[in-house]
Amino acid sequence: MTPILKIEKLFKNFGGLEALKNIIFDISRNEIVGLIGPNGAGKTTLFNCVAGIEKPTKGQIVFTNGGRTVSIGGKKPETVTALGIARTFQNIRLFDNLTVLDNVKIGRHCRTRALFFGAVVRTRRQKAEEKDVTKKANEFLEFVGLEGRGEEIASSMPYGYQRRLEIARALATEPHLLMLDEPAAGMNPQESSDLMNLIRRIRDKGVTVLLIEHDMKVVMGVCERVVVINHGQWLAEGKPQDVQNDPKVIEAYLGTGAADAA
Amino acid sequence: MGNLSFKNMSRGGKIRIGLLILALIFPFFPFVSDYLLHIAILIYLYMILSLGLNVVPGFNGLLDLGYVGFYGIGAYTSGLLTVHFGLSFWLIIPLAFINGAIWGFLLGAPTLRLTGDYFAIVTFGFSELVVLFLTNEIWLTRGPLGLPGIEPVSIDLSLFGGPKWEFVGELPYYYLAIVMVLVTVFVMYRIQGSRLGRAWFAIRDDEVAAVSCGINLLTYKVIAFAISAAFGAVGGSFFARWVTFLSPDMFKFWESFLILCMIVLGGMGNIWGVMIGAVVLVSLSEVLRELLPLLGLPGNCRFLAFGLIMVLMMRYRPAGLMPIPAVAAQMRAGRVKRKKRKVAVGI
Repeated sequence: MTPILKIEKLFKNFGGLEALKNIIFDISRNEIVGLIGPNGAGKTTLFNCVAGIEKPTKGQIVFTNGGRTVSIGGKKPETVTALGIARTFQNIRLFDNLTVLDNVKIGRHCRTRALFFGAVVRTRRQKAEEKDVTKKANEFLEFVGLEGRGEEIASSMPYGYQRRLEIARALATEPHLLMLDEPAAGMNPQESSDLMNLIRRIRDKGVTVLLIEHDMKVVMGVCERVVVINHGQWLAEGKPQDVQNDPKVIEAYLGTGAADAA
Repeated sequence: MGNLSFKNMSRGGKIRIGLLILALIFPFFPFVSDYLLHIAILIYLYMILSLGLNVVPGFNGLLDLGYVGFYGIGAYTSGLLTVHFGLSFWLIIPLAFINGAIWGFLLGAPTLRLTGDYFAIVTFGFSELVVLFLTNEIWLTRGPLGLPGIEPVSIDLSLFGGPKWEFVGELPYYYLAIVMVLVTVFVMYRIQGSRLGRAWFAIRDDEVAAVSCGINLLTYKVIAFAISAAFGAVGGSFFARWVTFLSPDMFKFWESFLILCMIVLGGMGNIWGVMIGAVVLVSLSEVLRELLPLLGLPGNCRFLAFGLIMVLMMRYRPAGLMPIPAVAAQMRAGRVKRKKRKVAVGI
């Protein structure tokens, strides 16, 4: 089966800085893949390239979905979202002044169509669409465990809930590939174990998950495969336990000599 | 759905209905003179304008310093069409809406790629350009001489064998303006709760996140700019047919600034707040016009007073008289924190 996402020889330069050098890896359908690496390794840059926020300098990103294969390197972010890739952000980016429900409704944007005329005249189609948006948004809130909080202002919610809301908003775009950027950052053990359950349930819905994470408990607990990058280069790949014991990976995290000591 | 019985209405709804009734019977109070009616119409006109402008800074978070350019285009287009072709007001209003939207699109499509301040400067330049055009293209606009003799609004039923009723005095314009405000509020209200409004709010709050939700920034900003310009042009058309005389210096930058002040004072992004801003600043402007000469000060000193108000507002109510709910909540939280800190210092 063709992988849902293929990253082929991806390069990204920022001026003289080579943020990504020849990154190659695949993600299979319905997999939970972890992307790890020390700070500044280029994980978020890679995410941004896939999501369309950064344009790769060289190389291909190929997204396959429903028999359709599209090269998405350099495509606009809204196009990428419409194709079925959603993401969350390392530092939460919610629509702070809007309610929780509206945040999720905005996630439905690329799956709905009403514009000025529909808004003002409220045609029958527009009404049906709006009803559907509200229903779906509530379903996604319930799915991440935020039911009954729809009317709260997004920025007034506790941190852990904001993370979940961001995931709900991403899910509302009906992605086939969901990219989570450090979803467990700042969470206590209880919250991160809830998060792991949530990630598994997302996968069970048929969504492939790629996550960047520093919390090794989460990575080991939920990922089926881990890709390690360091200094913008592919370093290792494999089952979480194997990667954890890989001397190259330990060296990347802890410095030379650490692998021998361990 | 849509339970319209008065009993079931929220307090805010009751207040609004009450204010509307008050506005409807206002002309019949014994103390109301033509002068007061004139000011009331001016308030309604500025309500339409500030509601229109509000779409750009209030809903989209973009600074627009050139709104009066669209107002001027609307006014002159309406004036010229009336003078040369004798078009009916009822035909001109939809034309003005489309005309404004076209100009908004023409200006917005290339320039809305610019961010923040750069965009503000472009809009500023645009409004200056409109004034220069109106002043210098004498063959079309008669330049500084102004455009007099614009026919007032009339309801012409002669086509169907009915009478022709011309608007005389302020009273018919008063009700016409109320209808136009109601339509504007209705449109804004509908947009606010729709997919379009949500896309705008998303852009206002976080552009990167908006893009990740599949919102095309440029498209939605251009739509916003066009709708905003359309309402500006409609306001201008009403203005032209109401005062029946136009001159280029009615559309100077100060007007843009004044309308922007109304929005900021009222509460950016809040439909009701913006309307309150229009009421406060227009009436204040009129009061000062009377008051300043008595104090021996030139009339333009009123801009000093506006400046003072803005400064005081930034100090005491930075989010405006009636901010959007989320901002209001943050302000309350902030105030509580400040109080606590003061207590701590006191100890």
